[in-house]
Amino acid sequence: MSSPQLVIDQARVSFSGFVAVSDLTLSVGQGELRCLIGPNGAGKTTALDLICGKTRLASGAVRFQDKPIHRLSEHAIARAGIGRKFQVPSVFRDLSVWDNLHIGRSARPGVLSNLLSFGQGDDKVEIERLAELVGLENDLKTPAAHLSHGQTQWLEIALILAQNPLLILIDEPTAGMTQQETKKTAELFCGLRGKHTLIVVEHDMGFVRDIAETISVMHQGKLLAEGTIGEIEANQAVRDAYLGSGGIGHA
Amino acid sequence: MDIVVSQLMTGLSIASILMLVALGLAIIYGVTGVINLAHGEFVMLGAYVAWALQAEFGMGLLASLVPIFLIMAAVGWLVEVLVISRLYGRLLDTILATWGIGVMAQQAVRLVVGGELRYVQMPESLSKSVTILGATDSAYRLFILFVALALFGVTWVIYRYTNFGLKLRAITQNRAVASSFGINTSRIYRLTFAYGAGMAGLAGALVSPLKSVSPEMGTTYVVDAFMVVVLGGTQSLMGTLASSGILGELSGYLAFYSNDTIAKALVLVAIVALIRFRPQGLFTAHART
Amino acid sequence: MSGKTKTEMAIYAVVCLAILLVPVFLDDAFLLNKYARYLVLGMLAVALSLSWGYAGILNLGQATTFGLGSYCMAMALKLKTIPVHTGSDGLPDFMVWNNVTELPWFWKPFYSMSVGVAAGILIPALFAALLGWFMFRGRVTGVYAAITTLAAMVVVQLLIIDQQAYTGGFNGITDLAQFDVAGFAFDAYGPAIYYLVAICLTASLFIAFAITKSKAGLIVQAIRDEEDRVRFFGYDVALYKIFVFSVSGAIAGVAGMLYTIVMEFASPTFLGVPISLSVVIWVAVGGRQSLLGAMLGALIVTGMQGALSESETFLDSWTLIMGLLFVLVVLFLPKGIAGAVETIAGRFERRRTLARRQSRRADTVGEAPRLERLS
Repeated sequence: MSSPQLVIDQARVSFSGFVAVSDLTLSVGQGELRCLIGPNGAGKTTALDLICGKTRLASGAVRFQDKPIHRLSEHAIARAGIGRKFQVPSVFRDLSVWDNLHIGRSARPGVLSNLLSFGQGDDKVEIERLAELVGLENDLKTPAAHLSHGQTQWLEIALILAQNPLLILIDEPTAGMTQQETKKTAELFCGLRGKHTLIVVEHDMGFVRDIAETISVMHQGKLLAEGTIGEIEANQAVRDAYLGSGGIGHA
Repeated sequence: MDIVVSQLMTGLSIASILMLVALGLAIIYGVTGVINLAHGEFVMLGAYVAWALQAEFGMGLLASLVPIFLIMAAVGWLVEVLVISRLYGRLLDTILATWGIGVMAQQAVRLVVGGELRYVQMPESLSKSVTILGATDSAYRLFILFVALALFGVTWVIYRYTNFGLKLRAITQNRAVASSFGINTSRIYRLTFAYGAGMAGLAGALVSPLKSVSPEMGTTYVVDAFMVVVLGGTQSLMGTLASSGILGELSGYLAFYSNDTIAKALVLVAIVALIRFRPQGLFTAHART
Repeated sequence: MSGKTKTEMAIYAVVCLAILLVPVFLDDAFLLNKYARYLVLGMLAVALSLSWGYAGILNLGQATTFGLGSYCMAMALKLKTIPVHTGSDGLPDFMVWNNVTELPWFWKPFYSMSVGVAAGILIPALFAALLGWFMFRGRVTGVYAAITTLAAMVVVQLLIIDQQAYTGGFNGITDLAQFDVAGFAFDAYGPAIYYLVAICLTASLFIAFAITKSKAGLIVQAIRDEEDRVRFFGYDVALYKIFVFSVSGAIAGVAGMLYTIVMEFASPTFLGVPISLSVVIWVAVGGRQSLLGAMLGALIVTGMQGALSESETFLDSWTLIMGLLFVLVVLFLPKGIAGAVETIAGRFERRRTLARRQSRRADTVGEAPRLERLS
């Protein structure tokens, strides 16, 4: 296998003295679906933040496709091919589903080129395909504010897919979803495997079991363990880390 | 030596007024998140109440301080209930609403009392001058300084040692968490607004014998007080105290050494620069979230 | 183009046409001048609606760019009066009074009217771009951006007042020549000036409309809703904001130039808090998220003001009424009149589609119904 697509190298993040991530080293190969788990406060969301530039490193490095990206601005990191789905679903509530997806198609992000772009253009087919993929094909004209919670989560996933990034960072995609919706989401992610690299932060261990190949466990801002689901469940250090929070299944 | 002391005293006198105005603005902003653009008008109304009590009922300034605080607190309470309380989800709109209220207050005063300048008598017992370290200063200015420090002390004690103050601090730190712990935020907001307005009214009343009273007088105060808040941050009262001191002294010197227009422009440029480069104020180490 | 956009465009066109037709039915020089003035203010409202309603940048200093435009035009028109209102060396009268002996370098390009007009667009746009760059590159948003624009305006106004020798100070620049194009003079009290203003208004309205309907306009609205989300798609958020802010500044600049032509002077009050406050009120009343609504808001409110201020008692209470109206609109009609109209229209539309759907369902009983979507 060639060198990994994403490498986090001894990253350290602190918020006015509080160290959220320290000495985190993690690498993810191209096309992999990696699950990132850990007890509350382990630094999982911060890990995603530092990849996409939302949080800056105090020291260490992040390399994407062998290029350092931790000093780039957020939009430059996104242009390099990294997409981010937030924990609290974040869509444009005043705009229709169609307009949301239209904005997600950000292959040409410049002001001038978008100033001269009216109507649907060549995005129409792709937008309809994405809407169908997440079951929103009948709601294209609906304002995003009118969608249910699960639908909003899916819309944001569709937005990221519209952006078509190489690496997708996903923070708790199933929060607030029904069991059925969670199952559908798992199917969706499994379908993305290979085409995109995915890093998924998730608490729902059932969901993790459904989708994961490799699992990375974080604890107190560090990488604690890495391996298949079986290896992780058997790992004594992981068990100890989860002790306070009622076991790995309920974390 | 005496010129230095007298400069220092002038600065302190400006600072004490500034602090009274800024304290209310800072508490309101810190607790509710509302930038109260009508705060200057609260100051102005306080001055007019002082004038009215004196002209109509012959009340001395000292005797009217408590009624003025209560009246202005009631005004603030009313404004909160009628307008601000409906806008907490829309912070940008609170700027507009308080701006509109300020305009209304100015025009209402102009209609009712008239636009001409009004004067408030200084309390006789304080109209003498005192000599400190070779410099003479009016006793009244010293009195203002004393009152301002006393009010700051009271506010600090409330903030630090009462249950109410604990809730205030909790909300200032993190609104969502505070309300999830069962703190009745809407009642606190109301009281905060009333307290801030009362303080502004007192500032207006105290300054009224020094300067003429006019419907427009509030505008300058709100700008300078806003500067104090931006400089001091909202996380601590000490920040407000320190930055009023700095700004009071600074504007004392600026007015002494350069022309007034440029001094005003410089204050505004400083506000803009602070907002851009140090939005959390100079005296707070606050994590950016 | 969607059906909704077409309808909107048709409404815009009808309103602009109606505005353009006014002089055909109105033969009163004084009234035409007054209406031309209202239209200029309507343009200013369009400018604010673009930045506030669409990009979410509440510009409390919209009058800055307006005033800069008006001064550019006044400088060019002043130099055209040589030698009537200027000294023997072509020095504007107020400079002579202030003992200035030579025309300052930044006045010299204004000998040319085309430079003056270009400056009246570019200087405001550039000012907005610089201020925007300063704010948005530093992620200054919301309330803080509003305060920054307000402070910046007062600084510019103070500087203009302070530099009396070069700007005319408090008095502004008065006694100007008539604006003319290729020998055709625009009399401030003739229909020609009205047409000029109406055409500029129509043009800026449609330019702004086109921007909001482009994908860039969509992105700008997305930035208003969720700035971070847009950023992580790879769009340079600050650049988009700077762009809209500058276009808004340019439109306000043109409005400022026209204002000088209509009013026949420029004054530091053009960059004042009262005008800025008024624009915010018009746009809030008309509906900030509708360019046309904002413009009509300006026309309605200034028109009402003009009508009422003819009686002495109303003139005094006008400001009070405005303040009250403003607070009420902020409280109860956050999207203004246009927003209310849209809500009502939307309700009708929904009822109609619902009725259509129901009748269609009645036709297709027996086909597999997709009920899960209707909840």
